Amino acid sequence: MKRTILKMFIGVALMGCLILGTTSSFGAEVVTLTVIGDAGHNLKPFEWYAPIFKEEFGVELKVIGVPFGELYEKEKIEFVAQTGAFDICIVYPKYIGDFAGAGYLMNLDEYAGKLSPAMDDVAPGYRDFYCKVGGSLYAVPFDGDVLSLYFRKDLLENAEEKAAFKKEFGYDLKAPATWDEHVEVAKFFTRKAGEKLAGETLKTPFYGTAFYGQRDQIYAWWGNRFASMGGVYFDEETMKPAINSKAGVDALENMKAVVPYCPPDVLAYGYEELKDIFLNGDAAMVVQWPCVGKKGADPNQSKIVGKVGLAPVPGVKKDGEIYSRAMMPCGRILSIPADAKHPWKAYQVIQWLTVVSSTADVSTPLTGLDPYRISHFETPEAFEMFPTGEDAKIYLAGIKANMSSGYPEPPIPGSMEYIDALAVDITRALQGEKSAQQALDDAAAEWENITERFGRERQQKLYQGLVAGWREAGLWE
Amino acid sequence: MEENRRASFSFNLEKQIPLLFVLPCLIVLLAVSVFPFLYSLWLSFSKWELGMGQRSPTFAWFSNYARLFSDDRFWGSMENMAEVLVFGVGAQLLIGLGVALLLNRPFRGRSWITTLFLLPMMICPVVVGCNWKMIYHYSYGPLNHILGLIGVEGGLNWLGSSDLALPSIIIADTWEWMPFVMIVLLAGLQSIPVELYEAAKVDGASRWQVFWYITLPSLKTIIIIVVLIRLMDTFKLFDLVTLLTQGGPASASETISYFNYLTGFKFFNMGYAAALAYIQLAIIIIIASVFLRFLKKEEGG
Repeated sequence: MKRTILKMFIGVALMGCLILGTTSSFGAEVVTLTVIGDAGHNLKPFEWYAPIFKEEFGVELKVIGVPFGELYEKEKIEFVAQTGAFDICIVYPKYIGDFAGAGYLMNLDEYAGKLSPAMDDVAPGYRDFYCKVGGSLYAVPFDGDVLSLYFRKDLLENAEEKAAFKKEFGYDLKAPATWDEHVEVAKFFTRKAGEKLAGETLKTPFYGTAFYGQRDQIYAWWGNRFASMGGVYFDEETMKPAINSKAGVDALENMKAVVPYCPPDVLAYGYEELKDIFLNGDAAMVVQWPCVGKKGADPNQSKIVGKVGLAPVPGVKKDGEIYSRAMMPCGRILSIPADAKHPWKAYQVIQWLTVVSSTADVSTPLTGLDPYRISHFETPEAFEMFPTGEDAKIYLAGIKANMSSGYPEPPIPGSMEYIDALAVDITRALQGEKSAQQALDDAAAEWENITERFGRERQQKLYQGLVAGWREAGLWE
Repeated sequence: MEENRRASFSFNLEKQIPLLFVLPCLIVLLAVSVFPFLYSLWLSFSKWELGMGQRSPTFAWFSNYARLFSDDRFWGSMENMAEVLVFGVGAQLLIGLGVALLLNRPFRGRSWITTLFLLPMMICPVVVGCNWKMIYHYSYGPLNHILGLIGVEGGLNWLGSSDLALPSIIIADTWEWMPFVMIVLLAGLQSIPVELYEAAKVDGASRWQVFWYITLPSLKTIIIIVVLIRLMDTFKLFDLVTLLTQGGPASASETISYFNYLTGFKFFNMGYAAALAYIQLAIIIIIASVFLRFLKKEEGG
């Protein structure tokens, strides 16, 4: 009898140990959630807050990092195969229509009602273009990418250069507000080695500007112009491509006009090359992502610390006002797959990251995450990497202005294919192989083929749904 | 009766034993080789657009193959591929043969120099791509710096122009794989009997005659094999394209394997990607058959 009682006691004790070992201090079961994202510093917050997630939500994270360019296919393959391999996904916003449209992502409206992701605090462009599909919430923001115009304020404020510019163009030198001014400022600052720049003799050539020339993103640099000039991707009524409209052709002609004032190999430029030419002090201005502003303030990465100015991307004059739209390529949002095993726990984690820790995460140089909340823009003191509080304010004000006039990538299924076809023909026009009109006509024909293959009706329904949401938010005319 | 049954059983077992030994290997082969081969063949006749969330393939007859004929990107990538095969493998053969002939002579430090020549081949292809990207950099690359020193002002726009992007890939590929051609040909040269050269010397043959009538014919079989290997390998050229140009500018340096990758793993057009893969396979089989026929003829001769 004694032995039986002893056995029972040991059994109960062992079970207790087992339960204690797999529970957090608040008594719930600890579950392991799998997170997938692009490898590198942007996954750091998942590591930093791991103890908090375990303590608060009973969650342990298994973080899978994949190369930047392979994230989409890794996620897509698992979604199609319905493996339920991931609980939290970092998604590039241009794929939200693709993923949500196919039913791969969970609708977060219900959870958002229980635990608010504070979407009212998110810059409208980012919130409505990239987190919602058909008015429903499918993601919360994590990294707020938007393009901005960075320029050398020391050069634009130089008295000698100002005088020379005014003499040549008849107006004051300043950060270009229109795309035509952008070409003129770029032309003015393009100098050969041996010529003078702000009183100093150049040892190497100096360029007016540069842009992202590689195939994966070049369309966004055309897109800034296209959107400012009133372009839209498709005709909502027919789903016919509208990229070969007058706006598209004018945008491409303008881009072509700036090529002579860029480095000769600009069509090989990716993120690194574009960042380096500006931060090495070899170009007067570039349109770039927000992280370039932060890196420009870091003496280890920049030769122009304290000389970087930030402005809205140029636009066009409409009724005496400047109308500009800034493309929002890349970016990162957090989503939960529809087949996630522990969706509520996953939601608690992403809600924490987007609400509680986001200011710290976007203001540290240890990540590449960029601001996207109104509260981020109002907390310049958190951005300690800037030499002065004033620099931080200028940086945040610039990003905020560009985000408020943000313009989305085409977030419908097949976006990768649409973008690739467009990029190929944009490049051909820039190289002089085709006229701007011919290039965009060819790209539009290819877009038609893609739409046909994907199903016109289905694509149109999705596009109309997205546009309706944007229009409702006041972001689409 | 019992004895007969036992005899028949042991006879059957004896017959089955070899099959049992082969079976595990057969299962693995079927699973990893035959099944994917047949499945992808079926896929090439199907429509499977993962991009639009199509969960399973539907039979589409020859539509994928028909689409190939009107696809400019496909023909452009084939043209680029042909250029790489002709100029890249051609350069590897010519330079490899030249270096092999130089290294076939006895001189001090020959084995060291031979080893040094082999180094590019030993480097990971990704590292080769990254290195060449730096070498080709317009503003900061050493190549343009050297060109500047010899009077080519501003250097060349290696990766940013449609005219030079593909030749840049060919140069990097030649640098990496010429040593392979060289070492195989060197082995071939060293296997040619010395007596043949001695006889030619006695007959008063010139250097050119020795090369043309003795060295080259003796190397013919090895040349056929090494060129075939390089052609098949070059047909798969992907790493350098990805690292140096991503097929650009526009599609100026897009090879067939890179286009196939985009179609399959970026656009998720699985049926079309499978058709592209089978077209590549057909071309490789045709090339290999021609070369093997040559080889057979040589061996027969």
